[in-house]
Amino acid sequence: MATIELCDIAHTYEPDSDDPTFALKALNLVWKDGGTYALLGPSGCGKTTMLNIISGLIRSTRGKILFDGVDFSQLPTTKRNIAQVFQFPVIYTLMSVQENLEFPLVCRKIPKGERIRRVNEVAELLNLKDKLKRPARKLAADEKQLISLGRGLVRNDVSALLMDEPLTVIDPQLKFEIRRKLKQINEHYGLTMVYVTHDQNEAMTFADTIVVMNDGEVIQTGTPQELYNRPETSYVGYFIGSPAMNFIKCTLAGNQLQTAGGRIPVPAGMSIPANIQNLKIGIRPRHVQFTNSESAKAIKGQIQLVQEFGNARVATVGIKEEMMRVKLNYGAEVPTGDVWLALPEENLCVYADEKLVNRNR
Amino acid sequence: MKTTYLLLKYLAILLWSSFVALPFLWALTTSFKTANGVTGGATYIPWLQYKPSLEGWKVLVRTGGQGIDIVAPYISSAVVTLSASLISLALGTLAAYGLSRFTFRLGFIKNSDITFFFISQRIMPPIVLAIPFFLMLQFLGLLDTIAGLILVYVALLLPIATWVMVDFFNNVPRQIDEMAMIDGCNPIGAFLRVVLPNSLPGITVAGLFCIIFGWNDFFFAFTLTFTKTQLLPVAVVALNSSVTPWWSLSASALVSVAPLVIIAFFVERFLSSGNMAGAIR
Amino acid sequence: MALILQNIDIRENGVAHLDNINLMFSRGGLYTVLGRTLAGKTTLLRTIAGLQQPQKGTLMLHGSDYLQLPVWKRRVAMVYQQFINYPHLNVLANVAFPLRRAGVPRAEAHQRAREVLGKVGLTDFEKRRPAALSGGQQQRVALARALVKRAEILLLDEPLVNLDYKLREQLREDFQNIFEGQDDAIVVYTTTEPAEAIQLGHQMIIMDEGGIIQQGEPLAVFNAPATIRCAEIINDPPMNIFYGTIENGDIQLQGGIQLKVPAHMAHLPHGPYRFGLRAADLRLGSMIGSQVELSEISGSQTILHLRGDIGTFILYEEGVYQHAIGDTVQVDLNSNRIYSFSVDGDLIAGPAAAEAYRR
Repeated sequence: MATIELCDIAHTYEPDSDDPTFALKALNLVWKDGGTYALLGPSGCGKTTMLNIISGLIRSTRGKILFDGVDFSQLPTTKRNIAQVFQFPVIYTLMSVQENLEFPLVCRKIPKGERIRRVNEVAELLNLKDKLKRPARKLAADEKQLISLGRGLVRNDVSALLMDEPLTVIDPQLKFEIRRKLKQINEHYGLTMVYVTHDQNEAMTFADTIVVMNDGEVIQTGTPQELYNRPETSYVGYFIGSPAMNFIKCTLAGNQLQTAGGRIPVPAGMSIPANIQNLKIGIRPRHVQFTNSESAKAIKGQIQLVQEFGNARVATVGIKEEMMRVKLNYGAEVPTGDVWLALPEENLCVYADEKLVNRNR
Repeated sequence: MKTTYLLLKYLAILLWSSFVALPFLWALTTSFKTANGVTGGATYIPWLQYKPSLEGWKVLVRTGGQGIDIVAPYISSAVVTLSASLISLALGTLAAYGLSRFTFRLGFIKNSDITFFFISQRIMPPIVLAIPFFLMLQFLGLLDTIAGLILVYVALLLPIATWVMVDFFNNVPRQIDEMAMIDGCNPIGAFLRVVLPNSLPGITVAGLFCIIFGWNDFFFAFTLTFTKTQLLPVAVVALNSSVTPWWSLSASALVSVAPLVIIAFFVERFLSSGNMAGAIR
Repeated sequence: MALILQNIDIRENGVAHLDNINLMFSRGGLYTVLGRTLAGKTTLLRTIAGLQQPQKGTLMLHGSDYLQLPVWKRRVAMVYQQFINYPHLNVLANVAFPLRRAGVPRAEAHQRAREVLGKVGLTDFEKRRPAALSGGQQQRVALARALVKRAEILLLDEPLVNLDYKLREQLREDFQNIFEGQDDAIVVYTTTEPAEAIQLGHQMIIMDEGGIIQQGEPLAVFNAPATIRCAEIINDPPMNIFYGTIENGDIQLQGGIQLKVPAHMAHLPHGPYRFGLRAADLRLGSMIGSQVELSEISGSQTILHLRGDIGTFILYEEGVYQHAIGDTVQVDLNSNRIYSFSVDGDLIAGPAAAEAYRR
């Protein structure tokens, strides 16, 4: 159980070059004790680098890292009390499941009785109890990943559990199971857990706090609801949510926003700076509604395409050169031809130069 | 504490490097000595401790009716080693590809058994093979000829080439061959166009091994040749007389090693294994 | 003119990789094959490509025996799960490779390669080596190489599974445009994600344990899954299954819950059944009490894993609701959306919309 602080951490893989590319640009982050966090971002954004800096596999080029206020930057991984689970299960192929789980304890010379007790406790939690005696290499991929996870849990000196896209090799329908187990682990042991992924659904279901990264920088930190409802930059709006947030260009005309499909009033409490060239409105496909033409606040467009996804259907509406998507439940009616879209004010976001314009409430 | 550790590390490296390099240094200095220079204590620095002379080197090119002609054995060795290595590489690579990609079964004999069969030929002490090879070459009328030697060397180097390449091909993902076949290549085409160009490191290693083993072989060269054909190691031994001519022996040793060092120097860059990056993720 | 598979069997050590497969693919058709891992999807594609030989069965293309043809003579293009490119060639040469092998002159091959590269959005990457590209770009090169051949059969084996979530979304959109241009080709696309299968295909085939368990139009299959297993595979989260009986005009579910028999099930005889209900057809309400086992929030949806007398089930709802593990919640079932399956798992009756699609 520990609070982890990253102070001014920056990292490059080419320290000797004159103009190095920084995999991680200077950032400051605090991971609170017992919290569940997700590091979310596309490939190459630096999330794995950050994870490896926390665990000690990489020593950052700049900055330092504190565990409960103590500078851990120079300490090797073994002394940091970190458990790390990687993308691919790491198991000792010549040992049984029980021996695999016991291994970290054997290395630390824990007495046998204690070892058996802890291994049984963890095996119980992970549903591996009846497989303890089997050779580890004979298990399915998801069970092997559970063993990797279990090895991190048997030690009682673990302060944080770091996971790097751990569900990659798991069958989609088994992912539910393992996410459930991870939540249970968090409640049971109170560990600080950091989960790296590029899958927003995984991030949002697992974590209380999500850190969105791109290109080595932290773009936004917040709860899943905050990121979903109030993305601070258009990138977050694009990255979170499936389909991505709709963006339509607009210009400021008095207290109204002029778009290619019509005018809508500026949301209450929002003061949009004048003279911004790059102005957009953003709204999630789930929040857009079909309405009749009488509504003064509606935007006009044409239905271009309707796609089925099983539980949902998505209509693509063309608005002159741009387009907007509308997400509806399966079986919901979709009009044809010309349509009018209502954009509820409470879900409407405005972006000036790709940054969210705040409202005063 | 850290600096002492560093110092010790470098000291260890220095000691070991000297241990490895000293014989060459010794050979270099000795090759420039005369009979006088060699007797007495050990001396290392020319002009200061002894008088350098080119006598050791002159002997190698038979000046003044003395010594041997090193050029002819040099050429013979080169011809035999290169031909045998190239043939072994060609055949070995093909065999290795077959062993890696196709499944063979003869009763209980599987691919891994066949590969082991190849390797096992190098486990035998050379002397076991000396007499059979002698008799075979005699039967073919190829004793004391370049062709005969090449034949024997191919038999000796083929297992090495195959052994290295089988392991290498096993690490080339099979999907690359499949993709090439889907794109219209038959298996040979897939091998030549796609697998081989990506196997440069393996071929380099196999080729190097073949050349080194072939060039340095003394035993078979000695057993299977007499007068017409003479390979370098045998020629060097022929320098021996009642008084061991250390200077010409040193010179000839350096001359023998030189080509290998030069080859290794140039070929080193092909040994990197980053070549398969981008094939499969 | 079609690709016809009949009674194709591949078994190894008693495990059926392909179990009596009978399929017919028509020209210009876009087929998605949906199934869990190890269902046999990859084996199916490899058999069509010629990389695996069936032990039994026939494979005909346009009436002639395809099994006789070796891989390199079949007019097939394939995109693998792992991005396969030739590392020693640059992007342009990679894409032009199959054309050169077929004897197309260099200039023309490069011309056609450039066209296709433009289609997949990689115009400026001609000179690069695959190793210098990102995952998404590598897969697009592989796709371009498959498209440039204008092969009669285009096989894609879970091509997006190794890509970023967002990239997958993007490429799925691109696929719709790309596949438009391949008029006559038979396109077969395998996936484990139901949403992807439904979105992309004109015809969907569900595979499980080497066999085909249902095929048809994606929405038709979605609305009327033939068995409980089909219902499990095609729904994400999986469909909830409850045990119960129909007696005295009511549905009695395990745990004592009673519901009125909905209209679409009125004609069913009394007896034991298994009832299916999608996670999205459960609401927070007042009918059934249950304990929260796990609460997951995804954007603006809540997924609750619940346990009650009725069994364990999953609820999926719009809106964000915070629940701690162990909380008690009341749940409503939308009986108009209940499916009834026989005890053996076969579909007997589904909601009204389903009826229109059955048969």
